Amino acid sequence: MSQIFSRPLISGMLAVTLGLGTGCSHWIELEAPADTAPPASATVATDARVPLLLETIRVTHNGSSIAPPAILERQVLGAIEATRLFSQHYQSGHAQQGVNQARVTVRLSIDNLVEPHAGQAAWRGFLVGASMFTLAPFISLNYDYGSQMSLEMERWDGQTKHYTATSNGSARYNLFGANPEVVEQLKGQVTEACLSSLLNQVIQDSTFFLASSMPPQDRPIRTISVGVRRPSSRAVPVSRPLADTSPR
Amino acid sequence: MPLLTRILIILALGSLMTTTGAYAADGSPTITVGTQEVGLTAGYMLPHRLTQDHTTKQQGPAFMPSWMMTVTDPGDSGWYRGQVSIGAEMVYIQFQEPFLTHGLGFTPKIKYTFVGLDRIRPYAEFAGGPFWTDLAGKIPEESSRFNFVLTAGIGVSYFLTERAALNIGYRFHHISNAGTRYPNLGLNASLPFGGFSFFF
Repeated sequence: MSQIFSRPLISGMLAVTLGLGTGCSHWIELEAPADTAPPASATVATDARVPLLLETIRVTHNGSSIAPPAILERQVLGAIEATRLFSQHYQSGHAQQGVNQARVTVRLSIDNLVEPHAGQAAWRGFLVGASMFTLAPFISLNYDYGSQMSLEMERWDGQTKHYTATSNGSARYNLFGANPEVVEQLKGQVTEACLSSLLNQVIQDSTFFLASSMPPQDRPIRTISVGVRRPSSRAVPVSRPLADTSPR
Repeated sequence: MPLLTRILIILALGSLMTTTGAYAADGSPTITVGTQEVGLTAGYMLPHRLTQDHTTKQQGPAFMPSWMMTVTDPGDSGWYRGQVSIGAEMVYIQFQEPFLTHGLGFTPKIKYTFVGLDRIRPYAEFAGGPFWTDLAGKIPEESSRFNFVLTAGIGVSYFLTERAALNIGYRFHHISNAGTRYPNLGLNASLPFGGFSFFF
């Protein structure tokens, strides 16, 4: 008698557990980047490295300009710092040590494309609701996010190089798996992938940004910068230098 | 006024007063994909006799606790930009006229909220689901206790904080049994309501 009841009970519990587990799931897919360059690496002399100034970050969101979030600025600087290509890392707005010292100036432009699939979500949500949520494990919702970055790096002598990278990703989630964290993770992963692709190109040109390529005529400018004293000239590096041996 | 009604109204008002005091200094609402909303709405049902065959003046208080999940972020710019939420609502109606009876239902719900006005957010909502009531059988319009309730309404949320909102609005209620038993004229009513929501 107990077996007659226990089988449907166990089956029902398994079905509910499976349904809830599936209905609460989410996953993130990143598209493979268009440029499939292998990860670049280079060995540079510590003394040859120069400081880097992150001058501007321009961000657009579906074509509309927005103020760059502080967390994005930290993410960009962190990624650049992780390359170990530059001796120090400064951000525009902070006072710098030796304004006229040799450095690389960075201008980053980020165009984000967000596609929340609102119409599709409304329709699928309606279906899920109309089914009294029994279809929740089987109907997923999508959130697409893409990022295109353009990096302009200007050397101390005015020479510039431009780099671009694109990354796209998609978050898929079931109704009960929706969570603000899912979208934040997607945005973070897409941004990270795009930055990695961008900085991989920079590393391939690493010799261009080293002080060994500094022409002799830059030295008078350095001499001038040493003479300048400002009240706010105290250095406030965003990240600590690996070794304070940058060329002057 | 019945004791249950008084208790629920006191609870609702108490929660609202506490919310206003505790979060008055917070910023604008930031509702994103995955933000959940729980709310309690209360109103008073007023009958509509749409045909000459409708004679019942059913009326009474209604209480509707709800849960919703935001499934989209706001789209591009425009007055119509907004967010879609999916969820469910329990509905309890205490019919005080023509007989003291009760109704209880469960309705999946979809809501579109316009976000262009920052703290003031108009919305449109639609819900429908099974509804049980012991009023049926005692009135000429409905014969079976098992029915369905359909609601369509509009409202506006005023965000007291980025996580708490005050809601007022209007719903049109329709109760019938989808032709599973006759007579099935249906009961129609207006339901002006007020309530509050918490977002997390």
